[in-house]
Amino acid sequence: MGLLTILKKLKHKEREMRLLMLGLDNAGKTTILKKFNGEDVSTISPTLGFNIKTLEHRGFKLNIWDVGGQKSLRSYWRNYFESTDGLVWVVDSADRLRLEDCRKELSALLLEERLAGATLLVFANKQDLPGALSKDAIREVLALDEIKTHHWCIVGCSAMTGENLLTGVDWLLDDIAARIYTAD
Amino acid sequence: MDGVPTKVCPSDAVKIPERVLRRDQERLEELERRKNAKESQTVSEEKIGYFRAAFSAEKANIEDLLSSCTQTDHQKAIKVLEEATNKIQHLQKFLNDSTVFLTQYELRQAQESLQKLQGSIAEKRAEVMPKKKFAFRSRTAGTSLQPAVTPSSTEGQLQTDPGNSVVDSVVEQCGFSNVQNEILIKHSEEIQQRDVLLSHLTNCKVRLYGSPSTLHIKNVRGCQILCGPVSSSVFVDECKDSTLVLACQQLRTHNTTSTQIYLHVTSRAIIEDCHGVSFAPFNWTYHKLDDDFRVSGLDPKRNNWSQVDDFNWLAAGTPSPNWAVIPESERTSSWDTAEPKA
Ligand SMILES: Nc1nc2c(ncn2[C@@H]2O[C@H](COP(=O)(O)OP(=O)(O)OP(=O)(O)O)[C@@H](O)[C@H]2O)c(=O)[nH]1
Ligand SMILES: [Mg+2]
Repeated sequence: MGLLTILKKLKHKEREMRLLMLGLDNAGKTTILKKFNGEDVSTISPTLGFNIKTLEHRGFKLNIWDVGGQKSLRSYWRNYFESTDGLVWVVDSADRLRLEDCRKELSALLLEERLAGATLLVFANKQDLPGALSKDAIREVLALDEIKTHHWCIVGCSAMTGENLLTGVDWLLDDIAARIYTAD
Repeated sequence: MDGVPTKVCPSDAVKIPERVLRRDQERLEELERRKNAKESQTVSEEKIGYFRAAFSAEKANIEDLLSSCTQTDHQKAIKVLEEATNKIQHLQKFLNDSTVFLTQYELRQAQESLQKLQGSIAEKRAEVMPKKKFAFRSRTAGTSLQPAVTPSSTEGQLQTDPGNSVVDSVVEQCGFSNVQNEILIKHSEEIQQRDVLLSHLTNCKVRLYGSPSTLHIKNVRGCQILCGPVSSSVFVDECKDSTLVLACQQLRTHNTTSTQIYLHVTSRAIIEDCHGVSFAPFNWTYHKLDDDFRVSGLDPKRNNWSQVDDFNWLAAGTPSPNWAVIPESERTSSWDTAEPKA
C-alpha cells in the first residue's frame, strides 16, 4: 500500500479534508469563509498572509486555508498546495477588467503537480451586484470547459447574502468523498 | 485550531481506556447537539414566519411606491425613486441579516424578489428620467458646481480586451469612462448600492453623491474624485497626481503615485506597488451624507485611515517609505467649488 493510499485512508477514517481557497485579491475569499462559519463580515481586512479555519460540516472535519491574493503574495501560494483535497477558486464576478488575470492565474494553478488530485470548485462570487457577470459568462471567460484534468463545478454565489455557499461546499465535499472511497 | 495529533498507531493497548471514555463523551455531546438542534429548529421556524410576513409587506409597499411614480411630475418622480431605492436597500439588509436562519430555498426566493424589484426600478428610472435631462438637473441650492462642458455618462462603454465577447456584451456598467477636463456628477438614484467604475479619466472633477456597493477607479490622472460611503471595498489601480476623498470598508490601492487620499475606512487600507501616497481623514460633507452612511452600513465612528498596510514593505518596526500622513496644516478642508482645469 502506497503512502498516499494510507494517508487517504487515515483521512477517510477521520473524515478530514483539506480545502485551499485561492483567487485574486478582493475576490471575497475571507468573506466567504467567515460567512460560511457564521461570523461577522464587516470587519474583514485584506489578508496579509493566510487564515486557517477548522470547522465541522456534515460530519466532516474541514481544514480550510484562505491565502491572501495580492500580487505580492501569489508566489507564496505554492507553499500551501500539499495534500489539498479541494481547491476553491473565488472570482469577483463584477470585476470584468481583471477576468483575464483571473483566467491566467487559474490555468497556471491547474498545471501544478501537487494540485493534480484536487477537485476544483469555482465560486462566481458577488452575484448580488447589479453589474455581476452570470456564472455562465464566467465559465466561458475562464474557459472552464477546457479543463480535463480535474473534476470541476462552478457555482454563482454571494458572500454578502450567503446565497449558494452551502450548495458549492456540499458539491465539493460529495466529490471529494466519492474519490476517497474509490481509492480503497 | 485543534491541536490534537492524529493517532497513527491503531494497536496501542494503553490508549484503549481513553478511547472508550472519549467515545462515550462524544455520544453525550451528540445527544446534546441533537437536542439543541431541535430547539433551535422551533425558534427558527418562528423567525422564518416573521421574516416572510415582514418581507412580503415591504415588497408590496415598494411595488405600490413604484407604480405611483409617473412621468408627469418630474421632481416627485425623482424623490419617489430615491425612496424606493432606499427601501430596497433596507430590505436587502434585512435579508442579509436573516440568512442565518433561512433555508436555501427561502433565501433564493427572497433574492429573486429583490432582483425583480431592482429591475422594475431600473425600468421606471429609464421611463421617467431620460438620461439627458437627468444629467443636467440642477443641484442643491447654494453650490456652484456647474458643469462647464456636457458631462458624458458613458454607460455601457467598457475598456476590455478586444474580442472578448462575453465581457463586452455585458449589462450596463455604471460610472464614467474616457473623459477629459470635465466635471462629472452622479446622484444616489443612479449609483445607490451599485458597482461603479471610473476609468481613463484625465483632469476631471468627479462627485458621486450616494452610497455605491463597491467602487473601482482605474487609470486616472490629475483628477479629484469625491465619493459618498461605499459599502464594501474601493479598488484603485494606476492612479496618478490625483486627490481621492473616500469612505469605505476596505481600500485597496495599486500602482498609484503622487496621490492624496482623504479616507474613512472601517477595516483597513492597503497599498501595493505605490509610492508618494499620502493620507488624511475623510472630511467631505454634503446634504445627505448621514443618510448615505446609514445606507452603506459603515460605522461613521470607526475610522482607521492612518493604519495603512504596504504589501511591499512587510518589515515590522520600520515604517514604509511609500506612504505618509498629510500634515494637518496642509490638508484641504473645503471641497465645494469645482472648476475644471483648463
Ligand atoms: N457586494 C459584495 N461584496 C462582497 C462579496 N464578497 C466579498 N465582498 C466584499 O469584497 C471585499 C473583499 O473581500 P475579501 O473577503 O476581503 O477578499 P479576499 O478575496 O479575501 O481578498 P485578499 O485577502 O486580498 O486576497 C470586501 O469589501 C467584501 O465586503 C459579495 O458577495 N458581494
Ligand atoms: Mg482575504
